[in-house]
Amino acid sequence: MPEVIVTKRDGEHSIIEFMEGATLMQAMSDGGVDELLAICGGVCSCATCHVHIDPASVSMLSPMSEDEQFLLEGSEHFNEYSRLSCQIRLTNEHHNLRVTVAEED
Amino acid sequence: MSGRNFVERDYFTDLSVLLNPYEYFEEIRAQGPVYQMQTHDALFVSGYDECIEVLRNNRDFSSAISTSGAAQPLPFEPEGEDISEQIEAHRAEMDPYGLVVTYDGELHSKVRSIVNRLFTPSRLKANKEFMLSYSEMLVKAAVAKGRCEMVNEIATPYVTMVIADLLGVPSEDRDKFREVIDSAPPPGDMESTQTEGPSPLEYMGMFFFGYLQARRENPGVDVLSELAEFTYPDGSLPDLIELVKLSTFMFGAGQDTSAKLLSNATRFITETPGLQDTLRADPGLIPDFLEEVLRLEGSTKATFRLAVRDTKIGGVSVPAGKRIVVGLAAANRDPRRWEHPNEFQLKRPRIREHLAFGRGSHTCAGAPLAKAEVAVILEHFLKQTAHIALNEDKHGTPGNRTLNYEPSYIIRGLANLHVDLVPA
Repeated sequence: MPEVIVTKRDGEHSIIEFMEGATLMQAMSDGGVDELLAICGGVCSCATCHVHIDPASVSMLSPMSEDEQFLLEGSEHFNEYSRLSCQIRLTNEHHNLRVTVAEED
Repeated sequence: MSGRNFVERDYFTDLSVLLNPYEYFEEIRAQGPVYQMQTHDALFVSGYDECIEVLRNNRDFSSAISTSGAAQPLPFEPEGEDISEQIEAHRAEMDPYGLVVTYDGELHSKVRSIVNRLFTPSRLKANKEFMLSYSEMLVKAAVAKGRCEMVNEIATPYVTMVIADLLGVPSEDRDKFREVIDSAPPPGDMESTQTEGPSPLEYMGMFFFGYLQARRENPGVDVLSELAEFTYPDGSLPDLIELVKLSTFMFGAGQDTSAKLLSNATRFITETPGLQDTLRADPGLIPDFLEEVLRLEGSTKATFRLAVRDTKIGGVSVPAGKRIVVGLAAANRDPRRWEHPNEFQLKRPRIREHLAFGRGSHTCAGAPLAKAEVAVILEHFLKQTAHIALNEDKHGTPGNRTLNYEPSYIIRGLANLHVDLVPA
């Protein structure tokens, strides 16, 4: 199974297996990353599933929508590596994608 | 109240629980955050952390009974430590309509991916013009009259028309939909009202089938066209019936719970001293106000899950086949999570973490719409009035109020709310 590598807020790394077609947010939630609140459940409206993509992994992702950008810009922890994990739909090509859970707003 | 002398009222049928579910939740909470009910073979989860634990654990808990509720016996006798095959074999008996809220696993993820793009900030922005103009018209007429009945006269038509506009339902069909929705019993009906003719879902489904079929043949630029042309992440095209069920469900679900939110919020405005003046002076506080209303009086009291395999909730052993009442409204007043949980407090820290819309993969997808549309119309009401008060002829005087709630073990919603409006 393909995997993503998630760094939690305490610095601990989690290797999480995923099914193709799941979102990164779903994979992280099912994989026990409880600090990822994902309050809106993945409808691109709350920015509580904010992650920072490892610079080396950025090229694996397609560009973000205006809605995603709008929500992320409202976060105190927004930077050039910010993404909403609910907006990243995983395929086998995302194997070994590395992300860090953003600090809480 | 705890221990051996505890006599449990029936959550599903007792009308005293309907009138004040919060008192009942505290009786249950005193028995522990995960409690084996005396009246039904079900666990009542009233703890905030424990509810989240259930809602986020898709592996061990199925949503198959989320509409039929935990009071109904299962259509099979659970056998062994894993009943996933039995659930699949009997799924249709537990949810005859096959609604997305009862789906599990991969099918749920696929169908949910269709809904996930419908209530984004840009979509709501496009819909906002309609919300503003339609609500302004409704409020103006009510204020001119000096009074209104908030649930049926204002909230229901308003939210129906907003979701109709968002989905692109032709205006000539909108009133027909409202009529069947208005005459149907609420979800989780305590009185098991029998109605004649097709259910609102069936009735509206026929229309949606026509819209979607026409758009598959001749695509346009509206939301229904987008739905008709949607492809799953694996590239396959959803079955038209699946899209019909989904659109119909959004229309029906978008209706009732949002309408209840507006009336519950209005009650808070009229009953909390000074609140309406605070909100009039700074309408920017309305979203915070609504979050606190959602915590204290969210439109959904409970949802339901079925244990797929032997598991645990908050350390308590749960056998496969156990039905679970996830007490969302109880969790929202859990004193371990919320300081002074029964108090109304504007700008509570981390208020958005309440469970009024659930949590996890089944979180209410329409939450952003509900909050946006209710905020818009409330702002109009506050702007166009100098004072809003409950009508004393209909609801009695403060301290001696009579309020009628829809007889539902799922929905917390006023059957009607008569208010007097003093123009600004």
